[in-house]
Amino acid sequence: MATTALRPAATHRSGLYEWLTTTDHKKIGILYTFNSLILFLVGGIFALAVRTELAQSGLQFMTEATYNQMFTMHASVMIFWVVIPFLAGFGNYLVPLMIGAPDMAFPRINALSFWLLPLSAMIAIMGFPLGGAAAAGWTSYSPLAQSAFSKGYGTDLWIVALTLVGTSSILGAINFLVTIFKMRAPGMTLFRMPVFVWTIMVTSVLVLMGTPVLTSALVMLYIDRNFGGSFFNTALAGGNAILWQNVFWFYSHPAVYIMILPAMGIVSEVIPTFSRKPLFGYKAFVFATAGIGALGFSVWAHHMFTTGAVYLPFFSLMTFLIAVPTGVKMFNWVATMFRGKIRFTTAMLFAVGFLSLFLIGGINGAFLASVPVDYHVHATYFIVAHIHYVLFGGSIMGVFAGLYYWWPKMFGRKLNEGLGKIHFVGTFIGMNLTFFPMHLMGTSGMPRRIADYSATAGWNDLNLLATIGGFTIAAVMLPFLWNVFITLRGGEPAGDDPWEGNTLEWATSSPPPPYNFDHLPPIRSERPVFDRRHANDGPALPVGH
Amino acid sequence: MATNSSAIAPHVTARGESRAHAQGGISNPILGMILFIVSEVMFFAGLFAAYFNVRLNATQWPPFVNEQPFEGFSLHTLEHVPVAATLTAILVLSSVTMQLAVRAIRRGDRTGFLRNTGVTLVLGVIFLAGQLWDYRGLHFGITDTAFGSTFYTLTGFHGAHVLAGAIMLSVLLYRGMAGQFSAKHHDAVEATSIYWHFVDVVWIALFSTLYLL
Amino acid sequence: MGLTAKGWARRAGTVAALGALAILLSACSDFDLRTAVPPDAASTQGQAGRNIYDIVFVIGAAVFFLVEGLILFAVLRYRRRPGDDELPPQIHGNNRLEIIWTAIPIAVVLALFVLSWQTLNTVDASTPTPPVRIGVVAYQWQWQFIYAPDGTRWEDCGAPANKGRCVTIIGTLPAGGDRSKWTPPTMHVPVDETVELQLHSTDVIHSFYVPAFLYQRDITPRKDQVIQFTADRIGIYRGQCTQFCGLYHHLMEFSVQVESKADYEAWLQQELTPRASPTAAPTAAPSAAPSAAPSPSGPAGSPAASAAPGASVTLQIAAAGIAYDKTDLEAPANTPFQIAFANNDAGIPHNVAIHRDSAAGEEVFKGDIFNGTETRTYDVPALPAGTYAFVCTVHPNMVGTLMVK
Repeated sequence: MATTALRPAATHRSGLYEWLTTTDHKKIGILYTFNSLILFLVGGIFALAVRTELAQSGLQFMTEATYNQMFTMHASVMIFWVVIPFLAGFGNYLVPLMIGAPDMAFPRINALSFWLLPLSAMIAIMGFPLGGAAAAGWTSYSPLAQSAFSKGYGTDLWIVALTLVGTSSILGAINFLVTIFKMRAPGMTLFRMPVFVWTIMVTSVLVLMGTPVLTSALVMLYIDRNFGGSFFNTALAGGNAILWQNVFWFYSHPAVYIMILPAMGIVSEVIPTFSRKPLFGYKAFVFATAGIGALGFSVWAHHMFTTGAVYLPFFSLMTFLIAVPTGVKMFNWVATMFRGKIRFTTAMLFAVGFLSLFLIGGINGAFLASVPVDYHVHATYFIVAHIHYVLFGGSIMGVFAGLYYWWPKMFGRKLNEGLGKIHFVGTFIGMNLTFFPMHLMGTSGMPRRIADYSATAGWNDLNLLATIGGFTIAAVMLPFLWNVFITLRGGEPAGDDPWEGNTLEWATSSPPPPYNFDHLPPIRSERPVFDRRHANDGPALPVGH
Repeated sequence: MATNSSAIAPHVTARGESRAHAQGGISNPILGMILFIVSEVMFFAGLFAAYFNVRLNATQWPPFVNEQPFEGFSLHTLEHVPVAATLTAILVLSSVTMQLAVRAIRRGDRTGFLRNTGVTLVLGVIFLAGQLWDYRGLHFGITDTAFGSTFYTLTGFHGAHVLAGAIMLSVLLYRGMAGQFSAKHHDAVEATSIYWHFVDVVWIALFSTLYLL
Repeated sequence: MGLTAKGWARRAGTVAALGALAILLSACSDFDLRTAVPPDAASTQGQAGRNIYDIVFVIGAAVFFLVEGLILFAVLRYRRRPGDDELPPQIHGNNRLEIIWTAIPIAVVLALFVLSWQTLNTVDASTPTPPVRIGVVAYQWQWQFIYAPDGTRWEDCGAPANKGRCVTIIGTLPAGGDRSKWTPPTMHVPVDETVELQLHSTDVIHSFYVPAFLYQRDITPRKDQVIQFTADRIGIYRGQCTQFCGLYHHLMEFSVQVESKADYEAWLQQELTPRASPTAAPTAAPSAAPSAAPSPSGPAGSPAASAAPGASVTLQIAAAGIAYDKTDLEAPANTPFQIAFANNDAGIPHNVAIHRDSAAGEEVFKGDIFNGTETRTYDVPALPAGTYAFVCTVHPNMVGTLMVK
């Protein structure tokens, strides 16, 4: 169904200059996506380095100093330059389309937000040739991160890079919030917005209020390292190492919700489309999202249970409670599939994979809410398992679901389904192979962030298994990259609405014209495109509760 | 009808008015500035949290140096509080003149707007100069225990924000003199005034915390 | 597109593959399932921790099977049959279900919270007069366990006045100086007695973790921690630092040897008895490596007595900021000499040890490790001419060259 009467003139410049100077939210969204994809490979290589070294007991391939940089930069790159921007990129591309707006509220600031990312990534990675990248863990606890114990530029470059990323995020959050509150098309009330837009909205509030606190922590650490400050430097009078942990985690805990909520939003768009039913419990989703956002600011000290400096019952209780809205979402997704007619496209496979894997991550998270359990598994591989089930099994699976789902909208052609299914199966198996054994490594006492482990501790085979899993994930990225390559080169046009979607982005061409819409369909529910598609079905439309 | 393929044009509605003002209510740039200020408040919140944490965990405050009380840390003296109080008065006054400038342009009084903005800018610069003068009279540096670190970081970042505000005021003056503001179109003035008031409020909190408490 | 049947077959296959793998794994690998779930607790607090873990595990497993089961069921039962283009019933929601699946999880997590809190009170309970008190000093990348049995404060054990009243257990490096082959220290404790550990760090945050006790506590500089445990099973249990603390974090291991009260007392007495050696170096772990021998009965053969009156050479060297203030020293060959070593790093242990040729060479002298700020004079035996390295046993980055000629 051609909704675009006007085709852009052939003189639209898609050359390099256009890409470098664009303020079009769609191009910026694509830039975010490719930047994150490239840095995903970089962060993945750091991970493979870690896994290669740990496959067997004994230091075989690198020094401790190199290893410590590998895991520090792996985590830093994945969190700040891959997951957060991947999701911001989807937000950039989709939010204006989904609310019927022509662009974001501040297009030039939007471009700035993007370009800060490759710049800051280069600054952080520049540590490697300049005497060593940051190597104190992505959590950079003091006093280890102080200049006496982390010599050289690496940590300072990391601080500067993260400050730039924070700026990028905060500007992006302002942009999203103004766009969502002020630029919705007529008829698009807040409770008719797609759930994805709600998740971006709540995420943006978390970014707006949390990220600046990280900035303040980074500034204070920089002053300690370079100007003789004594915020966190216990070698000096008044320095308080625990203060760093409090300020750092005050941001970094909401950060994990920043990394998961938009992925949940993606899944909330994909599952209804491929179940051919509306999302079950739309309002419950919205409230659960808001609840997670609010509770997310009250749990940060659960990262500090073993410090002896925290009021344990409060943080344990709040951590247990945050499982409730998350569970509500899980049940609602499953209920969406119930009595549906499910089509297993690659996007749907990744979305269902998200459900299975995030479930495990949520459950092992509940273990950690119990303080005595945390006393046993804190800073062990159990935590590494938890982190990766929620961030890889959750966020990354959600990202892949989104890529397969919206690729045709962004580039006009679907990604190849056969290659996609290989990608899914390999990722699902590889992911479990890598991270499930880590539960066992952790409960048996294997600490994290160790370059090597004792040959008699009983961890050799589990580590070997995890390494095999890691290489499986890496291997199966190749068909995915090949898929991207061949699809960009050519293939059958996808049309406006290849999946029979529900939301406004499917009401325009693929890719959309620069101004997004020629005509907007009437907006009377949270599924305007579905409504228009079935406008003439009338009484024949099967009505549910 | 949007026939122009530039991404900027869609910000104008069919009736020729800025889409930023469509739908009524607060305009986009002003909402953006308010949200930005929320983020800046959280930045200062982190620094204040550090200050209170350090202070409450210290066995004595101001801290001893080499196990002796250090009078350089005494900000409550007659030497410092009046200076800081004067600076506070200057900044509060500048908020008043800023608001007068906003009121002026809201009713189209360009001259009044320019004059009040100019006075605000001058007061802001005087504040900065006064802050530097106060720094010179202090007997401790950033390396002198956590007291020094927190003091200079908090006041330093506040000063940086005042400087940024002064730059914004200069831009307002320039644009104002070029005739770019009118009663109907002066978002930048409103936004800058909100920012300036925020800078003032932060100073009041700083002054109370560092010099009075 | 409908790879529906294949889709579910793949997923079922995945589950089966993982299951087979798990069985294969436990059958022929070094991984012992019994130790991979939390170990059988060796302390009363650990037992409480294990109990709550088991409860959480059962509930977690139940939720997993329930929800995963629902997902699998939905995926199998509600897949679209080929050719079926009819819309299913467009159900938007059900408020009663929402209430049910909000209320039940709230009840479950509240129950878990209450049980956890009760367990926490057991685990963190403390008695005001524990029979055994041990000072634990953690630093990059070593542990010191300090026993001060007669009421001396462990912090005062370094003072010369208290020499011989305390036992300090520290790990030992082998002759070659290869840190990865060091012998971690072993903490001896009596079974069924409350042991109090006073945890202190001198540099960065470390963590005292014993998996068999299901317990760890961060050790933050300037924030000493006090923990108590009651070991209830005789055995040797491994421990490790879990809080990333820099370059050799992975080597910072230790052991806890739980033994009968009689054995413990005997061990303690033996450690307190001065060894027949001129330099009362801190006693090493029971499985001492050769380098622990306090008496430098090296090549010269003569005990480290004072040098010829009036003719002894005293080298001066200091340590500050985890570094020596000199990189080169010279000493006369074949003559005993002295090293006046000023440790200016407050609270941080250093020493001066001498190795043949380089830091990796054979150790020919090892001075007492002591905390700063303090100055001690070492009596070094006569050494034949040659090139040596002087190095800090605790901090391998502190090295220099000693020319003996």
